[in-house]
Amino acid sequence: MLHTATRGLAAIAILGACSFTAHAEESKALEAGHEYMVATNYPNNLHVIDLQNDSLYKTCQMPDAFGPGTVQLSPDRKIAYVLNNHYADVYGVELDSCKQVFHASITQQPGEKARSMFAFTVSHDGKELYTVANPTLMLNDHYEVKQPRLDVYATDAGMDAKPVRSFPAPRQLTIMQSGDDGTLYVAGADVYKVNVKTGKFDVLIPSRHWKRPLYSAPDVLYVWNQQTHRHDFSLLYTTAKFKDKKEDPATADYLYGFFNIDLATGKTETVDFGPLTEIYFSGMRSPKDPNLMYGVLNRLAKYDIKEKKMLQAANLDHSYYCISFNKAGNKIYLAGTFNDVAIFDADSLKQIGKIQLPGGDMAITTAQIFTR
Amino acid sequence: MKRTLRLSMTSGLLAVAACLALHPEQSQARDAQTILKETCQGCHTPEGENALSRISHQRKTPEGWLMSIARMQTMHNLQISDEDRRTVVKYLADTQGLAPSETDGVRYALERRLNTVEQFDDQTKQMCGRCHSGARVALQRRPAQEWERLVNFHLGQWPSLEYQALARDRDWFDIARKDMVPLLAKRYPLDTQAWKDWQKNMPKAEAMVGQWSFSGHMPGKGELGGIMTVSANGTDQFKVAVDGQYADGSPFKGEGSAILYSGYEWRGNVTVDGVNMRQVFAAKGGELKGRMFDKAHDERGLDFVAAKQGTKQLLAVQPGYLKAGSEGEVTLIGSGLEGKPSFGKGVEVVEVLEQTPERLRVKLKAAADAAPGVRAVSVGALKGVNLAVYRDIAEVKVVPAFSVARIGEGGGSTPKVQGRFDAEAWGKGTDGKPYRIGVFPAQWKVEAFDERAKEDEDVKYAGTMQADSGVFTPGDAGPNPQRKMSTNNAGNLKVIAAVDDAGKSHTGEGQMIVTVQRWNNPPIP
Repeated sequence: MLHTATRGLAAIAILGACSFTAHAEESKALEAGHEYMVATNYPNNLHVIDLQNDSLYKTCQMPDAFGPGTVQLSPDRKIAYVLNNHYADVYGVELDSCKQVFHASITQQPGEKARSMFAFTVSHDGKELYTVANPTLMLNDHYEVKQPRLDVYATDAGMDAKPVRSFPAPRQLTIMQSGDDGTLYVAGADVYKVNVKTGKFDVLIPSRHWKRPLYSAPDVLYVWNQQTHRHDFSLLYTTAKFKDKKEDPATADYLYGFFNIDLATGKTETVDFGPLTEIYFSGMRSPKDPNLMYGVLNRLAKYDIKEKKMLQAANLDHSYYCISFNKAGNKIYLAGTFNDVAIFDADSLKQIGKIQLPGGDMAITTAQIFTR
Repeated sequence: MKRTLRLSMTSGLLAVAACLALHPEQSQARDAQTILKETCQGCHTPEGENALSRISHQRKTPEGWLMSIARMQTMHNLQISDEDRRTVVKYLADTQGLAPSETDGVRYALERRLNTVEQFDDQTKQMCGRCHSGARVALQRRPAQEWERLVNFHLGQWPSLEYQALARDRDWFDIARKDMVPLLAKRYPLDTQAWKDWQKNMPKAEAMVGQWSFSGHMPGKGELGGIMTVSANGTDQFKVAVDGQYADGSPFKGEGSAILYSGYEWRGNVTVDGVNMRQVFAAKGGELKGRMFDKAHDERGLDFVAAKQGTKQLLAVQPGYLKAGSEGEVTLIGSGLEGKPSFGKGVEVVEVLEQTPERLRVKLKAAADAAPGVRAVSVGALKGVNLAVYRDIAEVKVVPAFSVARIGEGGGSTPKVQGRFDAEAWGKGTDGKPYRIGVFPAQWKVEAFDERAKEDEDVKYAGTMQADSGVFTPGDAGPNPQRKMSTNNAGNLKVIAAVDDAGKSHTGEGQMIVTVQRWNNPPIP
């Protein structure tokens, strides 16, 4: 309890201590026009990698415990918001100075313990931060699981941010992105569009409840909340397409697909892109050719979406969870699991580099690539 | 002590804590009621006469109560000494335990038979049995409100639970509350006639004192028999000595202690040949039945059954088979063995080699034309065991047919979990139906289970099968730089046993998954 109450203070203290010892490096500002990648790892590092030369630019130390280390960037790409401390807190770190400028605990109500399962993002204008809290009331001799909450914070609220608005939310929510018109898109049992002023959730893309004839309900577990060059919000699904109404799983085709929302227009897509032959943790369409889909876990694979077929797959030194492209779309950066970022040529799928990061496992980090 | 306990818990070695806690020392500083009042009442609300919220509305096995208290320690900072914890576990298991009939069919979990393929309905399997054994649920009794609180605890403690496979495809919390809670309250209710009756008629612990004739079977080692001597050592506590031998003549001797919970749950710690073995038995009349296993490696264990001196029981025939047209020695184990042994049609007793009330060793001859099949064995009026006569082996089965071994050590804290196998021969009866002959010596090997396993060279990396014993020792834990993608030494293997029957080889096949460590390993899996 004491820990919870003083978390914000502890955070400041730790950041202070770290910046004292590594002040020069941490306060190295990012350079305009450069393309960077940010990724987090154990014990609690926020790494900035310069993609001009594919090398580590600097490392910011974050407070408290690591996990999941999901990063969301402010629209001006100056602040990295990180869901961390075992899914319990969001920290805002100013990338130029490594200084912590924002902190919100997912736990907000008296007596509750709350966690956010990857469910947070920054608004399109950078003014608000959205989180979904899954709270449990910790009573003396029992727990009471409460309805999840969409909490809205002002990003200028500082180190002990309190929600400016709170709304009841459905269960099982995960990643989200903010559309250009302010609509919040949130993945859950279905993909919802949310009015952040009224808290109204509407199904935008039916997922568990889709009505695609001869298809099984899709399986979706997508926790890599990436802010893409294509400016879209995208999640992978797997599904079974049956031969006929008997719905025999033995003769069904197992397929990979994606849900997609164009964050500029709100236009949605539900697209099968190929047979399910292996599992990918994350996937992304090429920024230069939207007909090319890539997926990664134990291999890096490339698909032709229109043809619905795998074009090529590359073996990997070890599993990687999180795929990212540079803006030009000619290079792929793989993060997650160990502490190295593998670089692949997006056309040939040949490995062209590797960046070793200080610290430990990146685990389930969500890396982001952006230009300053 | 607290530090030690914490370390054990965090290493997933709750089983170690279990054994500590289930073995009380003599002195008890505080009685259970005092501990409940002084220690538990800090969070649990008093409810009338000696009752406390939550605690007084559940019934569990000794291991179940231990896990609840351990949970309070690891998750809610409960400070309690090991001695006090033992006192409370004993008290609650005695006053709010399960009747013997309420543990029927799920004792495998208490006995640490981790290769059991459970039989539950799909809903229970998916909602409960996907993370832990269904038996863990079936070994508790609660009213609806307590089941509901258990659901709330689960989701509150593990918020990712509703996002996992077989949960993210449904409204997990709603189904848990609206379907599972009523179902569990009906299936496993707090108040039952069985428990009421058992409380009234619970036998006295003194009934355990005396000598027990036992029979056992240890995969990889064979059958054994002997005498277990039990003497009183305080209330519901005993000194235990076992003195027996394996079929190959090697000794099985050791000493230790035991405690009786709920009038029938026997938990012992006996050191045999320097190995600390745990006894998890159920006492029923003059019988003790269960499993005895290495505390640090619970896959190394033996099926155990014992008969109390003074009762009349026939426990086992060792070995339980004879080839038609051959002579062989067979030992009957039991208690009060008197009178003439009979082995059924076509089997003749050539000579009685040894006869005591606990042990009857005979030389048998099976006629060349004895019909293949199973015969009921009797000694005087005692029955209950069989002898199989066979001409040919029709089939060899690997037991267990499906099993899990686990990599370990390699610098890590978790021991390896071996695979341990028996080759079971089956014959074909005159009616054409298969019958079990028994466990035969075999030559063992492993092969790649499928193409993927072959390609990944699982046989090379996953571990080593000892050819003559059927004991498989997995590889070291941790990433292996020699393997593709530096993956660990996991594997998917065929387990192949070759049994020789008069120059003819018969093979059987099972499947063994060699997988990663079981990090969370509480007393009830």
